[in-house]
Amino acid sequence: MFYRITLKQKIVYYTLLVLLALVILFPIYYMIIISLKLPRDIYRTPSLLPINATLQNYVDLFSNEGFLINIRNSLVVASLSTFVSVFFSCLASYSLVRLKYRFRNWIGRLILFTYLTPSALLFIPLSVIIAQLQLGNKLEGLIFVYLTFAAPLSTWLLMGYFKGIPVDLEEQAMVDGATRLQAFYKILLPLAVPGLIAVSVFTFTSAWNELLYGLIFITSPSLQTVPVAISYLITGDVFRFGLIMAGSVAAAIPVMVLYYLAQRFVVQGLSAGAVKG
Amino acid sequence: MSQDVLAQTAALRKSRLSLKQIESLMGYLLVAPLVTCILILVVYPFIFAIWISFTNRTVGGGGDFIGLENYVYWFNQARFLETVRNTIVLVGGVQTTKLLLGLGIAVLLNQEIRFRNFWRGLILLPWAMPAFVAFITWKLLYAPQGGAFNFVLINLGLVNTHVDFLSTRELAMPSVIVALVWRGFPFWVISFLAALQNVPKELYEAAALDGANAWQRFLHVSLPGIRHVVLVVVLVSTIWTTNSFEAIYLLTQGGPSNATMTFPMLSYFSLQSLRIGEGAAVGVSMLPVFTALAFVIAMLLQRDD
Repeated sequence: MFYRITLKQKIVYYTLLVLLALVILFPIYYMIIISLKLPRDIYRTPSLLPINATLQNYVDLFSNEGFLINIRNSLVVASLSTFVSVFFSCLASYSLVRLKYRFRNWIGRLILFTYLTPSALLFIPLSVIIAQLQLGNKLEGLIFVYLTFAAPLSTWLLMGYFKGIPVDLEEQAMVDGATRLQAFYKILLPLAVPGLIAVSVFTFTSAWNELLYGLIFITSPSLQTVPVAISYLITGDVFRFGLIMAGSVAAAIPVMVLYYLAQRFVVQGLSAGAVKG
Repeated sequence: MSQDVLAQTAALRKSRLSLKQIESLMGYLLVAPLVTCILILVVYPFIFAIWISFTNRTVGGGGDFIGLENYVYWFNQARFLETVRNTIVLVGGVQTTKLLLGLGIAVLLNQEIRFRNFWRGLILLPWAMPAFVAFITWKLLYAPQGGAFNFVLINLGLVNTHVDFLSTRELAMPSVIVALVWRGFPFWVISFLAALQNVPKELYEAAALDGANAWQRFLHVSLPGIRHVVLVVVLVSTIWTTNSFEAIYLLTQGGPSNATMTFPMLSYFSLQSLRIGEGAAVGVSMLPVFTALAFVIAMLLQRDD
C-alpha cells in the first residue's frame, strides 16, 4: 500500500464506526428494554434504562393461548410455502442453469420479472381469485398466495447458487455412465445442500415476516399469523407497548438467528438484489 | 462390413440427436411445475389487475367494463395527486440517503479496519430484522408518550412539549424516511462493500503513484469499479421502496390527512372500502415505471452472465 492511514484518519474512522453502531443498536436496545417494562414504568417514569425490569410481558404473551396459535399459524404457512417453492425451484433451477433448450432465457427472464413484481400490485386481483376459489380466510389460501413471492425468490437465489458450482463433477459422472438425472441428484444436490438450506431460510423468513397478504386474506383472529396479530395491537387505540415489544422480540429473534447463519452462503444472491432492502 | 459401420454411425447419430431432444424434454419437464405456478399466481393476476382496473368491480359484485373511468376518477382526486407527490418525495429521499450512506460506509469499511467482519455483522442487524418489527420499533421511538426521542429531547431541554412526530404534517414524511433508511441501508452497504473488495488493489496503487488523492481515487477507481452493482441495487431497491407497505401502514396509515399516503396504502384503502376496480387502477398506474425499471434490471443482469 502506498497510502498508510495516519493516526488522525484512524481516529476519524473509528469515531464514525462507533456513531454508526449507536444508530443501529439504539432502536434495538430500546425495543428490548421496553419489552421488559410494565405500562406504569413506561409512561410514569420514562427512562432509557431498564428500571424495574420484569419478564411479565413475556409471561403474559406466552400464557396467552392466542399468541401460541398465531405462532403455530405462522409456522404452518411459512414452512409449507417454503417447502413447495424450494422443491419446485430446485427442479427449475437445475433445468435453467444446466440444461440447454429453446426459451430457456425467456423463462429465466420471466422468473426475474415475477420476482420483481410487487405484492402491492397483486393483492387486488389475488383477493378476487382467492374469493372465487373459496380460499379466503383459510391458511391454505395464504400458503397459495405466499407462493407468489416465495417461488420466484427461491428460484432466483438457487439459480445463483447452482451457477457457482462447477459443472465438471457432473460431466465426469456422466462420462462414467451416470444419467443426467443421476448427475443431478447424486452429484449436484449433495453439493448444493448449504445453498438449499440458506435458500429455505430466506424463503421461510420472507413468509414469516409477511404482513400485507396476511392482513387481507385472514379475518378470523384464530387464523392470524404473528405479524398480523402484532400489527392489530398497534393499530388499535391503546398501545400496550411492553407487550407489543415482547411479541416483536419473540418474533424477531428466531428469524434473525437463522438469517445470520444463512446469509454467508448466499452472498452471490444478495449482491444481485435478492432480498428486499 | 462397411455397411455395418455405416448403420452403426447412423444409429449413433440418431441416438445423439435424441440425446439432445431428451435434454430439451427434461428441461421443459423440470421447469414446468414452477412455470405453471408462476403463470397461475403471478402472470394471470398481473393481467387480471389490468382488466379489473377498467371495470367498476366491487367486492362480491361482477363489474362491467367502464373504460378509463377509474383513471379519470383518480386523476381528478387531490388525494391521488398527493399520493404521486408523496411517493416521489419518499422514494427520492430514501434512495438518495441510502446511496450516500451506503457508499460512505462501504468505503469506510473497505479501509484497513480491525474486526471488519464484526462491523459487517453489526450493520446487517436492521436488515435481518423482520420489517414489521423494525417499523413497530420506530413507531415506539417516535411515540409522544413513552417514546425515546421525546424523552431525550425533553430532558435535553430542546423542546417544551411532546413532539408528535408521526401526526404532525411537516414531520410525518421525514420521520417515515428516517425509519425506512435505517431498515434499508445495510443491504446497500453490504452489496457495495462486496463490490469494492473486487476492485483490483493495483488500480489504487497506480492511481496513488500518479498522485491521486483519496477523493480522486474514489471518483476514478472505486466508483467506476462498482458502478454496475450500484446501478442494480438502486433500481431493485427503488421497486421495493415504492411498494413498501409495512412502513406506512404501521407508522402513519398514510396520515396525517394524506401527508404520507403512497400507492400501496391508497390501493389497500380502496380494497378496504370494497372498490376493487379503483384499487386496481391505483396499482396499475404504477406499472409504466415498474416495467421500465424491471427491463433495465433484466438487461443489466443479463450482461453479467
